[in-house]
Amino acid sequence: MAQLKYAYYPGCASREITKEANETTRLVASALGIELMDMPKANCCGAGLMTDYNYDLSIALNARIFAEAEAMGLDIMTICSTCLMVMSTAHRDLKRDPALLERTNRILSKAGLHYSGKVGVTQLLWVLAKDYGIENLRKKVVKPLNWLKVAPFYGCHSLRPSDALGFDDPEKPASLEKVISALGGDVVEYRGKTKCCGFQVDLVAEDTAVAMTGTRLLDAKKNGARCMVTPCPFCHINLDNYQGLAEKKVMHKIGLPIFHLPQLVGLAIGLSAQEMGLSRHLVTMEGIFR
Amino acid sequence: MRAAIEAAKRGLNVALVSKIYPVRSHSVAAQGGINAALNKDDSWEDHMYDTVKGSDFLADQDAAEVLCKEAPENILEIEQMGGMFSRDSSGDIAQRPFGAAGFPRTCYLSDRTGHGLVHVLYEQLLKHNIFVYEEWYVIRLVVEDNISRGIIAYELSSGKLHRLHSKAVILATGGYGRVYKTTTNSLTSTGDGMGLALNAGVTLMDMEFVQFHPTVLKRTGILMTEGARGEGGYLLNSKGERFMERYAPHAKELASRDVVSRAEQTEIDEGRGVDGCVLLDIRHLGEKKINERLRQIRNLAVKFAGVDPVHEPVPIKPGAHYSMGGIKTDVDGATSVAGLYAAGESACVSVHGANRLGGNSLLETIVFGRRAGRKAAEFSKGSPLSSFPDSFLKDTANKVANIIKRDNGEPAFRIMDELKVTMEECCGVFRDRTRMTKGLEKVWELKERYAHISLVDKSDYFNTELPALIELEHMLDISEAILLGAVEREESRGAHCRTGFPGRDDKKWLKHTMISTEKGEYKVSYSDVTITRFKPVERKY
Amino acid sequence: MKIKVKIKRFNPTEGESPAPYMQAYNVDVTEGMTVLEALMKIFAEEDPTLGFRRSCRSAICGSCAVRVNGFSKLACNTQISPEYEKHGEVLIEPLSNYPVLKDLVVDFDKFWKKMDKITPYLTPPEDPGAVPRVTKEDAERIDSSQRCIMCGACNSECNALEIDTSFIGPSALAKSWRFVGDVREAESGKRLKRLSAEHGVWDCVRCIHCTEYCPKEVAPLTQIERLRSKAIKEGLDDNPGAKHVISMIQSVRRLGRLDEAAMTFKTLGFLRSLGMIPFGIKLEIHGKMPLPHIFSQIEGIDEVRTIFKESEKITGGKKKR
Repeated sequence: MAQLKYAYYPGCASREITKEANETTRLVASALGIELMDMPKANCCGAGLMTDYNYDLSIALNARIFAEAEAMGLDIMTICSTCLMVMSTAHRDLKRDPALLERTNRILSKAGLHYSGKVGVTQLLWVLAKDYGIENLRKKVVKPLNWLKVAPFYGCHSLRPSDALGFDDPEKPASLEKVISALGGDVVEYRGKTKCCGFQVDLVAEDTAVAMTGTRLLDAKKNGARCMVTPCPFCHINLDNYQGLAEKKVMHKIGLPIFHLPQLVGLAIGLSAQEMGLSRHLVTMEGIFR
Repeated sequence: MRAAIEAAKRGLNVALVSKIYPVRSHSVAAQGGINAALNKDDSWEDHMYDTVKGSDFLADQDAAEVLCKEAPENILEIEQMGGMFSRDSSGDIAQRPFGAAGFPRTCYLSDRTGHGLVHVLYEQLLKHNIFVYEEWYVIRLVVEDNISRGIIAYELSSGKLHRLHSKAVILATGGYGRVYKTTTNSLTSTGDGMGLALNAGVTLMDMEFVQFHPTVLKRTGILMTEGARGEGGYLLNSKGERFMERYAPHAKELASRDVVSRAEQTEIDEGRGVDGCVLLDIRHLGEKKINERLRQIRNLAVKFAGVDPVHEPVPIKPGAHYSMGGIKTDVDGATSVAGLYAAGESACVSVHGANRLGGNSLLETIVFGRRAGRKAAEFSKGSPLSSFPDSFLKDTANKVANIIKRDNGEPAFRIMDELKVTMEECCGVFRDRTRMTKGLEKVWELKERYAHISLVDKSDYFNTELPALIELEHMLDISEAILLGAVEREESRGAHCRTGFPGRDDKKWLKHTMISTEKGEYKVSYSDVTITRFKPVERKY
Repeated sequence: MKIKVKIKRFNPTEGESPAPYMQAYNVDVTEGMTVLEALMKIFAEEDPTLGFRRSCRSAICGSCAVRVNGFSKLACNTQISPEYEKHGEVLIEPLSNYPVLKDLVVDFDKFWKKMDKITPYLTPPEDPGAVPRVTKEDAERIDSSQRCIMCGACNSECNALEIDTSFIGPSALAKSWRFVGDVREAESGKRLKRLSAEHGVWDCVRCIHCTEYCPKEVAPLTQIERLRSKAIKEGLDDNPGAKHVISMIQSVRRLGRLDEAAMTFKTLGFLRSLGMIPFGIKLEIHGKMPLPHIFSQIEGIDEVRTIFKESEKITGGKKKR
């Protein structure tokens, strides 16, 4: 297999509040032989909020990120669904509308930058499912998670809008399930896996956000999940950090540990719980280890 | 809706009764546009001439004059309400060429013009607080002593019959395309208003003139707008020839719809078709223009025919599209019954004569909808409320109860299917006496059988089988009227093409066909065509 | 090919304690057959008690939206075979987020009421002379919102509506842009003010279901973003939603990236942020308390600031109140 190498874009959340996602991604990538190149200049993608302010600005700031990767000659890999969605949507729009690309480059030129439109955007989940390959991943598993019932949680921004992302079918996604199976885990099916975690309105309509989080967690739990895995740090914030509030809202004790995708991979390929930073989570992981 | 708004604006208490939500009405499916002489190089007289010529000189010219003269103010009024037509680069309302029009005078909103109009009228309906009885089926017009007393309607959600007592009633119920197997029309276009009127003793006019649209998708009958040809699309046969060059050397694909449909049918019948179709080719317009102006068409072709017109020509054929005939009215929508009005496709004013021009049907709905609303308001202000005889309600209730009671009869749907096939085979693009007589006999047979059908669903809660059965009754009546008019008319004029009588015969047939019922018997009579400006001449494209 | 079509049925007038149930029909599916054609076939040949709405059968009247294998679609432009191939079954249910009246027929009352709330008609200036001329660009700006056929699929899929039934919802918001974005509209400001209140434009959770499942490319989320941008531009920023966006913008302009602590503070205000303190302590124990990034700018922050300046030059920044 050719050496996999990406311009690595962890996203703002994983630089700070969910930094375990960033740290474990680096460990796992290194263990799998995937090379991640830092992007020291990379700015925030806009977190799905920038388009509420100024669409052109949002596109231009994303193009700045693309320009950095273009200079590195690499595609971008992120570990955040929202970053993925925002960048992929910007990428789609720039590709679809040459006038927009030109307008954007006029803005970039003032900052001494240029983007020619060649950078692809992907995320760790897709890299594992496609570029690295499920079979190759399976070969790396030394501690299969065959004792663990895992609920996959995609959330929204890894799946929709499908015309910008175009990897999983949002009605029947498979990549996360394939990864869980390759790691030896038992996939738990439930309707809520492609729905919203509520993160975007945490600070705007907290009741809605927390009720949404609780509904997803309860749905997974009732379908037999012992834990949940998500490719998105924002989803993780709600599912883990807000789980206590969510339990009160839906009036159920849930206690469902939430993994970042790299953590689950790390455990199966032989990295320790400590290395995987599991103690950083608010919902304790203790119950699920034998 | 246009009529209701106009009447409400004049201070009347107006309610709208509809078997579906107003925004579901079939006008939403009108794609290409609406005609008006807006450009300074165009004139309403030219528009009128194109309309009259298109009608094969059967349109009443006083009515066509009203239509074309009032077109521009109606378009501007729609924009004042909030409608928005597509613009050209200078910011004027854009206009595209359409079939048989001497000037590009069709205003449009992309390829969703009807949808745009219906929604803006719906907005105005809300603005004027017009009450809507949604999912109520009108099943009887109450007419006594030639005065309209109101209607009786069936409420879908309760199974109840309601009496709506009013000074005036305006019918705007659309066409009957569903009596044909291949049709562009909604499943709900079952000619209810025409059937109701006929049964209430109101005269129908020119029913034999059925427009077959030249470009509909094969299996589903879904419309591919004339705008596709207006924007420059070609029609090709199996040899790849633009065959319209032979039939209409000057206008080619943009000849009138009857001419194009006949040409297509001839190509298909003579073995130059492609699997029962000919091809609509818009590839040369390019993806950008297609996406901008024919986006919906592209999506429909992809979804319903599995063909992307950007890359491939679309197989199409003629399909029943529009009813030139309908309830006979004057230019104010008034019928022969006091207080009863009709407008739109359900009416026959007549502005379309033997063949309607593309872009004139939406225009007719707003011009004559407005006029009918205005006239009905005047009438209501100046007339007392006539009594609503209880006997009508009792009689209707008995009729419905009898249908529900009946058991072990034939299901309605078999009769419906047979009717559609019969009309398609016996009264299509080309017509002859033998087939039409056979068709008429078949319709009589189906009517006989209809008397014995029964319902499976006997409930009174969202029973949609009962309304379907009532619609079928209208469809049978209308089919008979179409066939009667067609079998008698021994000439070829506009959309009515008799194989044994290839020419137009102004001496014998420059007249309207009238169909009415007397004690259950259909009666055919004729009336003169109003000719003002334009003497009939031979029609060439 | 015979395919088993399962339909979720419900008739509240039947039996002692009516409950929804599944009924399966074996339908002879021909090539290209749509869900609506299958329903029509079942209705005509097998079971005329089946309740469903239909009219144009060409994706323009908006009558026939249902859920097919869990997702809201127009029955008339969804083909059976691909659905069967993808999911191994064909399951047809009524729309979500609406009360079911019978079988696949849902109560649209709330849908229309939400529409009514946004004053769904143009309010032009009283003086007809003050109505601006509409350019091609002006018409294009509202074109996608004008494509709406009111089928209700977006509201059925909306994750926010599922939790908060008072949320105005994507359909009414998309329709709002049709007027707010219209140069002839005289009441844009009033409209935006109303939409900035609770359960309004800021309550959208950006789940993108509305845009994904709209059968007419209305892209309700895009219209929501346009409403939000315009509201901020008009200075309507005294609400958590707008504050959240503005604090994020400030953070990116200052640091090149998010400053979560500052965002929380600015969005919720001082007093409500205090309420977050116990939660903050818990986060701190796990090393998750976001700390203000006083010095941690990204490299090349000047480039970011230039981009801000240039973009706002083109599209106009926030209006000062």
